[in-house]
Amino acid sequence: MKKLMTSQELARDGRFKRVPVQARALDRRMSPKEKDAAAGKKIAPRNQFSPEHPDAPDRARSLMHGIFVGEIQALEGAGRTCWDFEAGDGTNGTVPFALKLDMARQCWDEARHCEISVKLSEHMGTEIGEFGESAFLFEAACNPDPILRLAGVNRALEGLAIDVFNTMKMFGDTSGDPVLEFCEDWMLADEVTHVKMGSDWLRKGTENDPERRNRALEFQKVVDKLFSGGGFRGDDDASPIKLARRFRELAGFDKTEIDEIAHLSQEALEEARARVGGAYGS
Amino acid sequence: MATIRVTPQEYTYTTYDAGEIERIALRLAGQVGLDDATIEIDVDESTPLARTRIESLDEPVRIHIEGGAMEDPTAPRELSERLTSETIGRLLLRVVDRRSGRFAEAPADEELTLPQLTAWETSCLGRLERLGYDVRPPRRRYHFRTRHGFSDTADAVFDRLWATDELSWADIEAACAETEAAKQPA
Repeated sequence: MKKLMTSQELARDGRFKRVPVQARALDRRMSPKEKDAAAGKKIAPRNQFSPEHPDAPDRARSLMHGIFVGEIQALEGAGRTCWDFEAGDGTNGTVPFALKLDMARQCWDEARHCEISVKLSEHMGTEIGEFGESAFLFEAACNPDPILRLAGVNRALEGLAIDVFNTMKMFGDTSGDPVLEFCEDWMLADEVTHVKMGSDWLRKGTENDPERRNRALEFQKVVDKLFSGGGFRGDDDASPIKLARRFRELAGFDKTEIDEIAHLSQEALEEARARVGGAYGS
Repeated sequence: MATIRVTPQEYTYTTYDAGEIERIALRLAGQVGLDDATIEIDVDESTPLARTRIESLDEPVRIHIEGGAMEDPTAPRELSERLTSETIGRLLLRVVDRRSGRFAEAPADEELTLPQLTAWETSCLGRLERLGYDVRPPRRRYHFRTRHGFSDTADAVFDRLWATDELSWADIEAACAETEAAKQPA
């Protein structure tokens, strides 16, 4: 079996439609609220995942479909990490055998999450493939350095999953949907473990290699920023996805690192405003 | 035959096609009983959001649609025939309902609560399904449950509204009262 496959080789059946990251990046449209923000107007915070929000059900369905395809990619990514690298001392393209065991355990978790997500989609009235699939998680999982791979996937993207699951768990609670609430809670518990694995292996794998650690953290930062687009998540109430600070602490993030993600989100929001501001006469 | 006017005619943020929207609206107008109406459809393609509103019930009927309501969820900025039909169809059916006299007691659209609007649209979508449109009932059931509760009572009310052809404002009020009562602890 081939090692180190590229993201273009990711196979899917006919139900799935891939949406390139560039397609979203080139989208110049903005919500009225974003237009106001781009024009420098102050906007009132409003929780978009509240049962009182008119768009909440469809937003929740779309977001959970995104999580579902992310679970498939995380399963594929962790499986590839088990296979792509020989067991060794962690140098010269090898990984400690214990890292492979962690990835194997993650595969088991992700497979369960895929099954939960399929059932949850049915419950929410969503069909598999109803929304487009972005393969960004798998792209991060194709990094040839296993430590950078874990920084990008386990710390950045599984970290994002913590924030999403926590937000959706609250939506399930407030909308009176016990199925959504419990599914999110169960998956959230595993995500904390996956992020912790990423934090632990980042620390162990770069103990004597500060340059590699810096590259890994830089890669994580790039991934974090891409997924903070338009202020998608952050600390303030206007962010659709709230940073789950407590769960991130449990997963091995320190306060400075969580503050950094909040800062990246704010930066991404301001860049998005600047990018499209001209189109709306700000 | 109805007269349909879509604005804008040219799209820059999206690849939408005014002719395609007109064709869909014309077919729907005939099917829901607005054969002789003049219908103006104002599309705001600059937003990916999916809000809609009826701006005029009188001639010309005027509806406003944010671009996301007609967008293909698997292809950003491309028109979805299915969602365009669903969006225009439920708006036109609400126009038909308002004009029927059975909604004389109903508040203005902007005063409708989310449970009331969801209940009303449940019936509109049920009618569209019977006209042959793909409106994905499970998706609408989930919407309904988020507004009316995840309960057997809410599901039964959903089924009743879905099957109703001659809806009245009293039906909506009764539906909302029934699901609200089921939410209260015994």
